[in-house]
Amino acid sequence: MSFPATASAVLAVGDAVPFRSPALDWHALAPEAVLVATAVVVLLVDLFTAERNKWLASTLSGLGLLGALVPVITLAVDGNTRSLFGGAYVVDDFALVMKALFLVAGYVTILLSTDYIGEGDYWEGEYYLLVVSSVLGMTLMASARDLITIFVALELLSIPAYLLAGWRKRELTGNEAGMKYYLMGVFASAVMLYGMSLVYGGTGTTVLAGIGRQVAGSFGATPVAALGIVFVLVGFGFKVSAVPFHNWAPDTYEGAPTPITAFLSVASKAAGFVAILQLIFVAFYGRDEVYGPMMWVLAALTMTVGNLIALRQTNVVRLFAYSSVAQAGFILAPLAVAGDSPAVADDAIRAVVSYLLIYTAMNLGAFAVILAVSRKTRSGELDSWGGLFEYAPGLTVLMTAFLFALAGIPPLGGWFAKFQVFKAVLGAGGASAYILAVVVAVNSVIALYYYANLARLMWFQSVPDGDRSPVRVPAAINLALALCVAFTVATGFFPGLVGHFGDAATDLVAVALRR
Amino acid sequence: MSAVTRFLAVSDFLRSYLTVGIFAGVAIALVAGILGLGSLIRPTRPQASKYVNYESGVDPVGVGWSQAEIRYYIFALLFVLFDVEAVFIFPWATRLEAYGTFGAVEMGIFIGILALGLLYAWRKGVLRWL
Amino acid sequence: MLLNQFLILSAVLFAIGVYGVIARRNGVAVLMSIELILNAVNINLVAFSAMTGTLAGQVFALFVIAIAAAEVGVGLAIVLVIYRNRRSIDLDEVDLMRG
Repeated sequence: MSFPATASAVLAVGDAVPFRSPALDWHALAPEAVLVATAVVVLLVDLFTAERNKWLASTLSGLGLLGALVPVITLAVDGNTRSLFGGAYVVDDFALVMKALFLVAGYVTILLSTDYIGEGDYWEGEYYLLVVSSVLGMTLMASARDLITIFVALELLSIPAYLLAGWRKRELTGNEAGMKYYLMGVFASAVMLYGMSLVYGGTGTTVLAGIGRQVAGSFGATPVAALGIVFVLVGFGFKVSAVPFHNWAPDTYEGAPTPITAFLSVASKAAGFVAILQLIFVAFYGRDEVYGPMMWVLAALTMTVGNLIALRQTNVVRLFAYSSVAQAGFILAPLAVAGDSPAVADDAIRAVVSYLLIYTAMNLGAFAVILAVSRKTRSGELDSWGGLFEYAPGLTVLMTAFLFALAGIPPLGGWFAKFQVFKAVLGAGGASAYILAVVVAVNSVIALYYYANLARLMWFQSVPDGDRSPVRVPAAINLALALCVAFTVATGFFPGLVGHFGDAATDLVAVALRR
Repeated sequence: MSAVTRFLAVSDFLRSYLTVGIFAGVAIALVAGILGLGSLIRPTRPQASKYVNYESGVDPVGVGWSQAEIRYYIFALLFVLFDVEAVFIFPWATRLEAYGTFGAVEMGIFIGILALGLLYAWRKGVLRWL
Repeated sequence: MLLNQFLILSAVLFAIGVYGVIARRNGVAVLMSIELILNAVNINLVAFSAMTGTLAGQVFALFVIAIAAAEVGVGLAIVLVIYRNRRSIDLDEVDLMRG
């Protein structure tokens, strides 16, 4: 076909088709609408209130995030899968589970931030506006089933995050955190876009379900398809800080304000995984020989490198930075085998979603303790944690619980997450799956070493500077701790709780296999 | 198909670029020829003062990379952002009637949120000139 | 088919952009390299849109253009803050923590 003729054909089609306004399902869009309204209100409140009333921004954004949970729950009770804009925006159980995770993680981040930002000497109102915008991007990502929507959601959640990472703008470490995160993030999204343009070129559609049909068909066999898939997944590899795309993570985590570190290591990472799940299960499922080995290598490298470097850290935030890199490796592991069979795909998505839910609770909890302790010690060094039990027994017990949960020791939540990963990987069978399972097992042991080391410092070491005055924990952080510990312990004893959410989320796979 | 016929079968689209190519070639040859001829004929007596930047006869002060007022940056950035957002208004404006009330409401929300950005810039005082 | 020329152009732009991001040390030059990659994407999208006869590619390109502007705005702001604190935008110097 000749080029100009097709171009004019496109224009002709555009003129001929009469415009019908899309039927908007406001119920399905309600969580996002509430968040947009919250963002607008927070901005206006910040602009038109005196300096001493800036706390309003924090309270309002917290309420807004909780308010957005209400339509999420009513949608879940309603139970119908709603598909809007020609399949570009789908509200199914998977999307709802992830939306709830993002909203709660955002709320806990605001609880953690309230005192940190209020006492600091940086802007207050904009901070909450950016957190709410970022959460809005994440909830959008949970429903995005179209390349354009995924891209817009990714940027909506990332651009505020770049600014938040560099929030301490008069400090060199803050600048560095912002710059590294920004450069890596923008570069990754540019590479991802190039991959998306190739996938679009081959399939002629941007809707994931349509791409899925083509990838399963003749287009899937072409090298361009493989190239596109690899580029797109590499782009999200940066977002979830998978090795070898993890370089930004430790420096950004150290230089960013600690509540934002918690937010990035949990919510932003989960959003990356949501996108990977949607792309793999809905769009690229037919090419498991492309993404399978890639995920295998990424998972094995991420776990091993993250854990080995974590062993050498002396700063507690950097320790958790590398630990969160390693945890991303565990979450990637089930994806390596997901293409094996529909049953394994179900197990894989169940494992990833339950891992994300439990990881969110335990990691946010650990960061809440770090924030509370650093309010007193004013130091991030591991040594300053010595003898914590002598002056803050409550925090020590909580931190120990979160550490052992992260290590995957029953009866705390983490074991169920790891168990699901093993179940999915072993369920696939075959040599490569068994090797991956061994890598996961070895890494769990390495991780236990550094988690237990921090616990040892807190319980058995003496206080380094002899200052045994108790730690004053603000009410907001106490509430955050309560939420996190309740979820971590509850899922340990009643894994069915999270398992239920995991089962619900498998409807994403069902879409992929129905064709 | 021989190489020659394949060459001749190039689409019209590409052939029209041939004109551009010839034109570019002539332009380059002309400029290079005149400058080359000049350098052959003219006398060359280098002096340091001849290599100073020309600033209308005044002695140049400072270096070429002088800094502009930092406020220009904010204006430039605001301009770029609002300018580029207009990209979404064009497709709507070309088929204004077809989109009707739905389109108008939609665009109203879009412009309203953009205006919030302007409101923010105004309240923060970056729109005030020195 | 004419598509190949567009794809080659965009692949070259993409490669130059990636090289620039990796090799340049000046913060602003890196931002310009990222713009090159994004424009390579836009060329791809519009060419594919014309080839397949679907409009989605052109809409995608519009979104890329608009969001790239927002990204560069944020990037320049970060570069400016670094310049205020350090009087330099050499990215190799922005490595206190040596991640």
